[in-house]
Amino acid sequence: MGMTLGSHLTPLARSHIEQADVVFAALSDGIVELWLQRMHPDVRSLQPYYAEGKSRMVTYRQWVELMMTEVRAGKNVCGVFYGHPGIFAWSPHKAIEAARAEGFEAHMEPGISAEDCLYADLGIDPGRFGCQHFEASQLLFYERRIDPAGYLVLWQVGLVGDISLKRFSTGPAYRQALVDVLSADYPLDHEVIVYRGATLPIQQPRVRRMALRDLPDAELTAEETVVLPPGAPLKQDQSMRERLAALDKEASGA
Amino acid sequence: MSDTIELLEAIGQNAALRHASADKLASMLEQAEASVALQAAVAAGDSSLLSGEFGHKLNQVPQITNIPGHEEDEPDDDGDNKPHRPSEPGHTTPHKPSPHTL
Repeated sequence: MGMTLGSHLTPLARSHIEQADVVFAALSDGIVELWLQRMHPDVRSLQPYYAEGKSRMVTYRQWVELMMTEVRAGKNVCGVFYGHPGIFAWSPHKAIEAARAEGFEAHMEPGISAEDCLYADLGIDPGRFGCQHFEASQLLFYERRIDPAGYLVLWQVGLVGDISLKRFSTGPAYRQALVDVLSADYPLDHEVIVYRGATLPIQQPRVRRMALRDLPDAELTAEETVVLPPGAPLKQDQSMRERLAALDKEASGA
Repeated sequence: MSDTIELLEAIGQNAALRHASADKLASMLEQAEASVALQAAVAAGDSSLLSGEFGHKLNQVPQITNIPGHEEDEPDDDGDNKPHRPSEPGHTTPHKPSPHTL
């Protein structure tokens, strides 16, 4: 569906929606869902399956089962997800895997993702210094290697550290734990960017800049993303450069 | 009164409108006889004012778990009240083929 109403839906994705027998929708904005309902008479929202105190993993499995039930009934099913259906989204991958495993044809259409909007709105080229993306809780649950010479993009910081999967937000103490991890690679006065893309075409992207130390007390929603610009210069690999120079010399026949 | 969803779609698809100033959009919306809620939302730069027309629709957005490896666990039958613990990468339960595989 892309991110912004009216702007991002591809002609092919619209055609899939229009030609489906039934459409399931997991969208980031209720008004976008109303727009989708104009395209098909049988749009079934997946939003009611979320519940505070209910594991989101249960919700996601229910989504897959709802879609597969219609697939098994012989229906042409289209799952519509905000952004790109395969980025930071479990159910679309799982539904396709399940359908194929049962002998049905299934495929994913790419969409314009929140990540794509972030690059455009913040003027970041991930090819310049490199760019790491993590679901924020991964940095708390696992030991990961952060490269501060590149960009670091953290998703779902608003619910970082929720090991129960049953909450839609955590709080300052959880974000402080994240800052403690990040402080191993970045100074506390390092600027971080809190970003939210536009879902309606009358909105502008929301961009807030603050010091890393202030992140715990900032108001943060689940749809906001935290970007850490590079905090260290690229370091030259002298031994590899010498090796490459030797290879060049060899290749030139000198 | 013009249809708000159609107007939003038109704005989203029009290069001259998508990034237009609030003043320019306000003028266009007035001519189009847009709803009071849509005109107010544009004038204030606050899309939450559309709730005056559509009600308050808060959608949840997370669509992925925080715990890689957990997704391969079998679903709980008891309402999933058990706490989840992160698995060790590389120690996840292998995927079980569906009994319906053709």
